[in-house]
Order: sequence, then structure tokens, then C-alpha cells
Amino acid sequence: MSQRTVREVAKPNENEKMEDIRTPFSEFWRKFKKQKTAIVAALFICLFFITAIIGPYIVPYDVAEPDYDHILEGPSSKHWFGTDAYGRDIFSRVIVGARISLAVGLSSVLVGAILGSILGLISGYYGGWIDNVIMRIADVLFAFPGIILAIGIIAILGPGLYNVVFAVAIFSTPMFARIVRGSTLAIKETVYVEAAKSIGTKDKRIMFKHILPGTFSGIIVYFTMRIGTSILTASSLSFLGMGAQPPTPEWGAMLSSGRDYLGVASHITFFPGMAIFVTVLAFNLLGDGLRDALDPKIDN
Amino acid sequence: MFKKVFVLFLVMALVVSSLVGCGNKTDTGAASQEQKQEATEKTQDESKTPAKDNKDIVIAVADTFISMDPHDTNDTLSYSAQKTMMQGLVGFDKEMNVIPVLAESYEANEDATEFTFKLRKGIKFHDGTDFNAQAVKVNIDRLANPENKLKRHSLFAIVDHTEVIDDYTVKVVLKEPFGAMINTFAHPAAMMHSPKALEEFGKEVSRNPVGTGPFVFKEWISGTYLKVVKNENYWKPDYPKVDSITFKPVKENGSRIAMLQTKEADFIYPVPAEQIEAINGKDGVIVETKPSIIVRYLAMNCNKKPFNDVRVRKAINYAINKEAFAKVVYGGYMEKMDSIIAPNTQFYSKQENTYDFNLEKAKELMKEAGYENGFETEIWSNNSSGTIKGMEFLQQQLAQIGIKANLVPMESGTRLERIWTVENPEDAELQMYYGGWSPSTGDADWGIRPLFAGESFPPNSYNTAYYNNEEANKWIKKGIATADNEERREAYEKVQEIIWNDAPWAFLGVNLTMGGRQEYLEGVYLLPDGSLSVEDAEIK
Repeated sequence: MSQRTVREVAKPNENEKMEDIRTPFSEFWRKFKKQKTAIVAALFICLFFITAIIGPYIVPYDVAEPDYDHILEGPSSKHWFGTDAYGRDIFSRVIVGARISLAVGLSSVLVGAILGSILGLISGYYGGWIDNVIMRIADVLFAFPGIILAIGIIAILGPGLYNVVFAVAIFSTPMFARIVRGSTLAIKETVYVEAAKSIGTKDKRIMFKHILPGTFSGIIVYFTMRIGTSILTASSLSFLGMGAQPPTPEWGAMLSSGRDYLGVASHITFFPGMAIFVTVLAFNLLGDGLRDALDPKIDN
Repeated sequence: MFKKVFVLFLVMALVVSSLVGCGNKTDTGAASQEQKQEATEKTQDESKTPAKDNKDIVIAVADTFISMDPHDTNDTLSYSAQKTMMQGLVGFDKEMNVIPVLAESYEANEDATEFTFKLRKGIKFHDGTDFNAQAVKVNIDRLANPENKLKRHSLFAIVDHTEVIDDYTVKVVLKEPFGAMINTFAHPAAMMHSPKALEEFGKEVSRNPVGTGPFVFKEWISGTYLKVVKNENYWKPDYPKVDSITFKPVKENGSRIAMLQTKEADFIYPVPAEQIEAINGKDGVIVETKPSIIVRYLAMNCNKKPFNDVRVRKAINYAINKEAFAKVVYGGYMEKMDSIIAPNTQFYSKQENTYDFNLEKAKELMKEAGYENGFETEIWSNNSSGTIKGMEFLQQQLAQIGIKANLVPMESGTRLERIWTVENPEDAELQMYYGGWSPSTGDADWGIRPLFAGESFPPNSYNTAYYNNEEANKWIKKGIATADNEERREAYEKVQEIIWNDAPWAFLGVNLTMGGRQEYLEGVYLLPDGSLSVEDAEIK
């Protein structure tokens, strides 16, 4: 009896201790799980990833197989999203298109983030003329509207999905560079970096081991939001005929081929348009949620 | 919920498309004053009741006009506007038959080297100059002189000299026999400028057209509109029956359709095939479709493997489902092609063994030719959305016999460079070319010689199939060596048979012309070559 009482008293104490140990992750999770929209967005994005991975194996129709007896048909139980000008199943094409959009969005931002982070670290850590050169180049790239810059790059390299990835990566780079540079400038002055310097740690090690992890929260937020924008840009370029070439089931290309039918068969543009819209929205909402969760100044 | 979202989306789409339309109208940066002027015109239009109570017609077209000098024009659209103001000695009727216009009658000698025209009397140009034999000579001399560097000089390079017999008789003498010359005179390129205007404006006649036509030039603001007004002294009594015509270039299909539906335009062309059913017969809109002389083809480079094998070329012809092509790419508005030229072209002769869709036969032919497993190739063409649709269809069809075709849509500059700057046929990278051809003289010669004669390889002309057959060349020459229609007919029958059986093209179909008009507008129609005729325009 007395033993039990002791235990009962002890239990809350234990719990308090548990809560006291706030790892960065648990802290993040505590804040993040309060954001209902971001959770929904995250769930949708998980679904999007799964679709992208297994999509091509589960679709009911071959995405390239035309069926000239069933062209421009509206949504039905046979074709959930209807068929396009060649009688191809739009549902299947939207599903398979998810992989392309994800691949293009993810890879272009990844390349941009890596390049930008390295440049931002160098620029912020060394300062001086290196900082000047890198940041002025970034300013020049900022001065271009993103899509115009991408069109310019494609005009030089020629149309194609790989070039779209490259173009989007190029104009994602300066923003990452700027974010990382900002954090670097602050972290550079902290005591632990100074301590590392004073014991003779090499620059490279300081930059990547001590400073870079501190910039992650900024990178992650921007990274997430950027994926949405990249998917949108890649689709725009395909819409303009500069990205994916037919018969690739890329969402932007599908919109483009459907626009002649807007008045008579709007489902051809509606579903890929919705797919782009919902995906970009999800990434932006998730990005918002992540920012609130990762920002130490916001505590709810 | 879903319905709400859907409606919202449609509204957004409408807003976007109308914005696109606005962008096009102003994209050439017309001065604000002119825009204001246009705006006031519009409000005037709007203040009237929907039923037409004025006689001012608005015609919306798909592209901007390039030039108002017929001698220096090579686009059908500019000709459509020019034809309201200018006329030639002869012209075409609705079926592309040659009819006298400014000439009363004409005759050719037996060798087809001399063409004599008797002119109509009492006709005056818009500037008051008399139309007579001297005026004709000035115009033909201008066309025939290579130093003038006119785009249509090539049609008249064959002219040796022009003689004025008397005030109303003129004789054109050619360097060599050319049986299709009357059709060349009927071509809009041979329309007559006022000699006074030619003297006064020089090269600038391209912006100051003065002719004998039913309408007089009023104003042209590039990219915005071109306006012509009634010619009060027109030589045909009681014509024209409308007061003015305003042409407006509207590139976006959707905006053009909307203009017709809102009665902002009285006539539009072309009407995109996929929209015809949605608008025809509704709100007083009538869409008219008629067979044209424009043929669609997929040329194959006969100089190069694997297309140098006639079995491969035939296999490709059999592998393409032409009915599906018409349905998918032209919304069903296309006719079957059963010769190398369209039925409305002069001297057309129907071929017996058609290349009807037959996959078994196609595969067999491929096997015989040693390409059982197909091959990889490229299709080149321009980059408009309609063309890309056609290319994508062909890609699907060729895949059925194992041919992997990569699509290369090119903008016009690139196309020019990669096809029409290649001097040596052996260097040509061209494999397959998807295109269309409108023989605007309406004669078999212009539908065959530039495309199939051995002398017409790029860069000289348009033989993108690099087709060269001695026998065919011989008959093509014979066809133009005489003005005797029976002899010409025989020559062209032979030519068509030979080329059809050699299959240097995959023969896809004959386009239809598609124009949309308001119920109350009559007498505006499209000729089979795709140009517009408005002389008989009338509001009822």
C-alpha cells in the first residue's frame, strides 16, 4: 500500500523529467502537430510520394495507348477523368504524371539547394570580396523574373525535361545562397565556432560540421515551399512547349494540349490543372507549417 | 461542392483567356490615340441594337497582315484583304475556275507562249487613273523585272515582255511555253496597282494600295485593324452592298469564337474544328465548311535509308489510319486524299488503288524490306499546337509497325535554316516532314512541280521528299509545254499515277475551309485555296 503510494507520487515526477528533455525534434513535433492544415498537407504529400512511386504499376490504362473510338469523352465509371483528344485515359496520365512532376520538382530544388548552400556558406564565412562577387551574381539572377530566366536558359540549351531541371535549379540557387549566408553570418560569431577556431579546426570542418547544421531550419522551410514553385515552373515551361515533349504525360504538357478543347471538353485541362493546383498548395501549406514549427520565436 | 469548384475554375479560365485575347490586340504597341479611336468605334457598335442596322462588317482573322502589295506577298491572309481593293485581269470563282475580271476575254496561242487579253472599258482606279493596256504593262513589267526583288517575281520570271496592242488590248509574251499561265494570271499576285500609285509611293505601295476593287483603302494599323470603305464608283453597278469592312487579327482561337458569339465580329475564319459543333446553329451563327485544295502530307526523304525503299514508304501509307487522322486532328473536318492533289485542283485524276488503313499489309511490306523490327526516325514540322497534335498522332500510328518517331517541332527560323539552307541533298538531315500545301493558282502544275519535280529540291523549292523520278519529270515538263487542255490533262494523269504509286508522301487528307458567319451576312465566302472573297457581301 505504502509502496504503491510512493510509486504514484513518483510517476508525475518521472513525467516531468521526460518533458524536460526537449530534443530539437520533439520540440519541433510538439509545435508541428498543432498545425492541422500542415498535417493534412503532409499527409497529402505522403500520398503524392506513394503515387509517384507505385503509380505507373497500378494505373488502369497504358498512358500512351490511343483509343480513337473514345476520344474526348467526359468522366465516366470506365474513365474516371475522361479521355483526351487521342482517347487516352486522363486518370492514368495524371497518376503517372505525378512521378514526373515530383522528380523534376525534387531534383531541381535539390540541386539548387546544394549549390546555394555551398555558395552561401563560402560567402558568409569568408566575407570580403568572395562574398561580394557571389552576392552580386545572386542579385543579378534575382533581377530576372524566374520564368523569363528559365525560358532564356531553355532557349540556349533546347527543350527537354533535363534542361528544365537545370533551368529551375539555376534560379533556385540564389535564394538558398542568401538564406544560408544570413544564418552563417550569425552562427560565425557564436562562442562554439570561436572555440573551434581557437583550437585550430580547419575552415572546411567548421563550415560543414559546425555552421551548416545550424542553417538547416531555414533551408528546410524554403526547400519545401520551393518544390511547389518548381513544379509550377516546370509545368509552365512544358505548357509553353519547352519542357516535356509529347507523348510524355506531364501535367503542364497535358494542359497545353487540352487548351484547344477548353470550350468543348474542359475535363482535359481541369484534372491536370487540379493536380498541379493541389500539389503546389500542399507543398506551400506544409512549408508554412514547418516555418511556424521551426521558428523558436513562435511558441504556442 | 465539386460543382462549385468546377464553375469557379471555368470562370477563372474565361478570365484568363480574355486577358490573353486583350494582350494580342495591343501587342504591336499601337499608339494610345488609335486605341481610343477604336474604343469609340466599339462603343458606337455597342450602343446599337444587336441586329445589324448598319452596313459595316467586321471580320476577325487568325493572323496579322504582312503587306498590301500583291506583287510582294506570299501569305494567303494578306491576299484576302488585298482582294477587297484590287483585282487582276482574271480571277477564280467559288470552284477555282478561271473567270474574266478586268479582262473581257483572253486567248493563248497554240504553243502557250503568247497570251492576249481584251480589257474591259471605262474602269478607273481609286485615284482616278484610267485602267488600260498601259497600266497592265506597267504592272506585269514590275513583276517580271528581277531587280525589283518582289516575292512573286518567281511566278512571272517566265515573262519575256508585254506589248500594248491598243488602248484595251495587251499581249504578254513568254520566254518558253507555259500552259498554266492563265492560272498564274488568276493568282492574286497578278492584281493590278494604279500606275500613278506605283510612281508616287514606290516600295511603299505595300502600305498604300490603290486598285480597281469594290473597296477603297482607308486605314491600316498593323496588328490592330485594317479598314476598307465602299468604292462609290465601282465598275460593277450596285456593288458593293456594304459600307465598310474592318479586318481584325485575333490569334487566340477562343477570343475569335467569342467575338462571333457576341456579334463583335460578323465573320471569322478559321473556326477551329473542335469548336464547330459547339457554335454552329446557335445564336444566329452559321459555320460553313467546304473542301479546299489544301493537302496534308508526311513527306519521306526518298534519298535516304530506309525511305529509299518504296516498300517502306508504302508500308507507312498503309500503317496510318486516315479516318482516325481526320477525326482526331481535324475533328472530322477533312476529306480523303485519293491523288497527289486535291479534287478541286485542275486536272485532278482519282487514283484507283488507295492506301486504305491495313496494318497486316504494312507489317508485311516492312518485313519484305528487311525492317521487321522497325527503325528510329524523326518527324520535323512547325510548332503550332495544331501541327503538334498531328505529329503526335503520326507518332502513335508509326509505332504500330515498330517505327519510333521522335518529334521535332521547330519555329520558322530554325526550320528555314535546317531545311532550306541545305545546298547538297546528300547533306540533308531531313527524314520526315509533316506539312500542308495549297496550290494557289488552282492548277495541277503548282500542286505538283514545286513538290515532286527533280529540280525542286530544297533550297530551290519545296520537294521535301527529295523525290526525283525521270519519268515523272518528263510528264511534268510536258504538262506546262502546251496550253491545250486535253494534252495537259493527259500529262497530269500520268504524273499523278506515277507519283501516287511511288508514294514519296504518306497521303493524309484534304483540309476543309472553315468560316463562321452571322445569319444576316451573306456573300462572304472562302475560296478553296483558303482566301476570302467579300465582293458579294450583303446584309439581309
